[in-house]
Amino acid sequence: MEVVFQLLLSGISQGCVYGLIALGFVLIYKATEMVNFAQGEIMMLGAFFAFTFISILELNFFLAVAATIVSMAICGALLERVVLRPMIGEPPFSVLMLTIGLGFLLRAIAGAVWGSEPKSLSAPYTGGVFNVSGVIIGYENLVIIAGTALLCSLLFVFFKFSRLGIAMQAASQNQLAAYYVGIPVKRIYSMVWALSAAISAVAGILVAPVSLIDPLMGFIGIKAFAAAIVGGFGSLPGAIVGGLIIGIVEQFASLYLPPGFSDVTAYVILLLMLLIRPEGIFATMQRKKV
Amino acid sequence: MSLLKMTDMSLSFGGVLAVQQVSFDVVEGEVFSIIGPNGAGKTTLFNLISRLYDADIGKLCFDDENITRTPAHHIAELGIARTFQNTELFEHETVLHNLLIGKHVYRKTNLLSEFCFTPRVRRQELQFRREAEDVIDLLNLQRYRDQIIGNLPYGVRKMVEVARALCIKPKLLLLDEPSSGLNPEETEDLSFWLEDINEELGVTIIMVEHDMNLVSRSSNRVMALADGKCLAIGSPQEIQSNAEVLRAYLGD
Amino acid sequence: MRFIRKTSYGQDIQLFKHRGQVFWYGLLLATVFGLPFFIDSFYVGELSMVFIYAIAGTGLMLLVGYTGLVSLGHAAFLAIGAYTHAYLMTHGWPLLPSIISATLFTSLIGGLVGIPALRMTGIYLAVATLAFAIIIEQVLTHWVSVTGGFRGMPVPLPQLFGVDIHDALSFYFFCLAILIICLLLALNLLRSPTGRAMRAIRDSEISAQSMGIHLAYTKTLAFAISAGFTGLAGCLLAHKIGYLAPDGFTLLISIQLLILVVVGGLGSLHGVIYGAFFIGFLPQAIALMRDYLPTKISQIPGLEPGIFGLILVLFLIYEPLGIYGRWLKIRHYFEEFPLYRKATHQRQKSYLRTERLR
Repeated sequence: MEVVFQLLLSGISQGCVYGLIALGFVLIYKATEMVNFAQGEIMMLGAFFAFTFISILELNFFLAVAATIVSMAICGALLERVVLRPMIGEPPFSVLMLTIGLGFLLRAIAGAVWGSEPKSLSAPYTGGVFNVSGVIIGYENLVIIAGTALLCSLLFVFFKFSRLGIAMQAASQNQLAAYYVGIPVKRIYSMVWALSAAISAVAGILVAPVSLIDPLMGFIGIKAFAAAIVGGFGSLPGAIVGGLIIGIVEQFASLYLPPGFSDVTAYVILLLMLLIRPEGIFATMQRKKV
Repeated sequence: MSLLKMTDMSLSFGGVLAVQQVSFDVVEGEVFSIIGPNGAGKTTLFNLISRLYDADIGKLCFDDENITRTPAHHIAELGIARTFQNTELFEHETVLHNLLIGKHVYRKTNLLSEFCFTPRVRRQELQFRREAEDVIDLLNLQRYRDQIIGNLPYGVRKMVEVARALCIKPKLLLLDEPSSGLNPEETEDLSFWLEDINEELGVTIIMVEHDMNLVSRSSNRVMALADGKCLAIGSPQEIQSNAEVLRAYLGD
Repeated sequence: MRFIRKTSYGQDIQLFKHRGQVFWYGLLLATVFGLPFFIDSFYVGELSMVFIYAIAGTGLMLLVGYTGLVSLGHAAFLAIGAYTHAYLMTHGWPLLPSIISATLFTSLIGGLVGIPALRMTGIYLAVATLAFAIIIEQVLTHWVSVTGGFRGMPVPLPQLFGVDIHDALSFYFFCLAILIICLLLALNLLRSPTGRAMRAIRDSEISAQSMGIHLAYTKTLAFAISAGFTGLAGCLLAHKIGYLAPDGFTLLISIQLLILVVVGGLGSLHGVIYGAFFIGFLPQAIALMRDYLPTKISQIPGLEPGIFGLILVLFLIYEPLGIYGRWLKIRHYFEEFPLYRKATHQRQKSYLRTERLR
């Protein structure tokens, strides 16, 4: 029984990370209808920023977290302005390829700046554990779960009540109409990218203490992508739910199935989902009208 | 005799009744117009006939054959061709290639022979081309033949779409707002072409149209639709003086 | 500027539109047949690699450029072709039957992958194929009895009718011959009804359907054909590298093939050739460049994919039509000189029209 709880817990914390990255995907997709395949790399960059602020510049942890989030938000906005702005109105396939190229580029840049050997990041809460009747709960995992929950409620409030959040939703539903009612759509896009990069940065900070930081860590972005689709591409709660499903199933698969299976569980779930219910758990897509 | 017969068809989208209990039949050789305010369900009706949508209930017959559940790609083979409200042409292809796609239902070659481009495939291509040229001549599209659709003005695109539909050699042609976006002169031309298509080629036409001038000039019968319900069917004059139709358009 | 006077409908379906083309393509053919006798055997080997890329690229171009379906998983088809061929060869099959069977088998798998793909569009399809490729990669690693797992499996040397063709020169001609056949097949397909149906689906599914095109069938077919070409390239690749291991067929390869298609120029077979040269020789160019760069830069891990990424980004922003598109513009410039107007090739601004309703 303890094993089950243990797996469930680590699955949830891993799932939260997938969910956060997936949230970044979905946010950008909802607002701009662009699919950002470089989301994992943005998270990787966030983790490296955190590493720089904490281990190299030796800032106070909370200050470093704030600095990481702010600087990643700026990076996100810059990326949108320089690379993705010219692609507005281009076919989705071009944007997909562009972000794939961007991912390669970011990986090379990270390799050039920080080197390819893995780095570890220590947070003030690193190493501590709870022991609840046999189930060992690491502080890191707890912080991941709590951080995700906090971030999600902040986002909920933001989209529900703030003018900017509502404007973002408007821009995501109809570009042209949003222009007409006076929403500066292009600026909104920059902000969406900033927000998405900031969320990914949070994911990077949360995941860094439990895994190592290296230029290839962004590959979990692909699993996060699977999570986004399982949840129903375009649905924010769906992203988190999809992430949790994949995180939990993966943990159980690694224990109960032969080796090799846990690496592909995310993709098997994805394919099954696409076969059974292609629109995902929280459907948002509808077919084209003629 | 009736070519197309719709009986008590209904369709709803998530609680909104787009089409309610609509019945009508179209006689072979006539021009049948469907009019109605925006959102009356005219295009939905077209999508039902061309089988892009599945009706919730009701029955659809074409040429004495029940096509209520026929897959959409069989419709062209049966002889129903259509155009779209905002033109759905193959943007990156030339006008000629667009028309040749209309010939797709007549292909008799298999994949292997196409890979080798056997003389049979070549003969078939030439045959298609000759037939497409006939349509080009009919609708006066010669000078656009080798142009990419993306570079053509809207009015020409509309005509290319009609031409593409004609390449199927349909028995029934569905035209979704053929005159929208055309200038008065082009609309004038259109009404002559409709006459040609109807009388010379013997094609039955159903069209959704807002231009009452065009409707009353070309059509034999008109159906007025509002809120997914059929208000009246009759000659253009009858419909224009029908009290219920006037109310739907002008309000109480 | 050349004006062609057309006198018969048959002229429009000829492979060569005018005498000039016959001349230039003839010259090209003579060059590729004569070239290997004059250059270093290392470059002969590199060129045969380019041909293999071009064959795989033809397959992917038919899918992405002509049917409008995206696949992020073509490395899997390359792998299936290569492994099947190597497996059959080790079990004593002769070269040609083995290649043909491996190709057909790969297209069968491609068709099977295509079936669930029918209900998906765009990004969903891209991700589904990606998932498929990752699963195949794992299968290659763990199905030790057939694939040799991590350790990989050796590929028997190719023999055509009892003659060894594994030296650089004869393998070059073998690849070249297959490439030419593939290009002819693709050209034939594209000027026949099936090819036209594929392009129709690319431009508008909804009206393709109303024109009587069976979407599911045509898409599955496109997948199968595409996978077949790529599997064929896989067979040749197996001989080229001589030893198969799962790490030769990663996501990176799928993406390289997509880069080939995009950088070469979407929707043109010329583009496939340009793209194949691009991804075939860029690593060489980077290797050469490394000698002249300060070690600090040349030692960056992931430099090569980084440069691939950079070039891809630049192409998509500044020349979305790829090398072939650029070439058309240059040619047009000289043909019209001095009357060329810049606006001719200006892209139209378009607003995004969402396909989601809520």
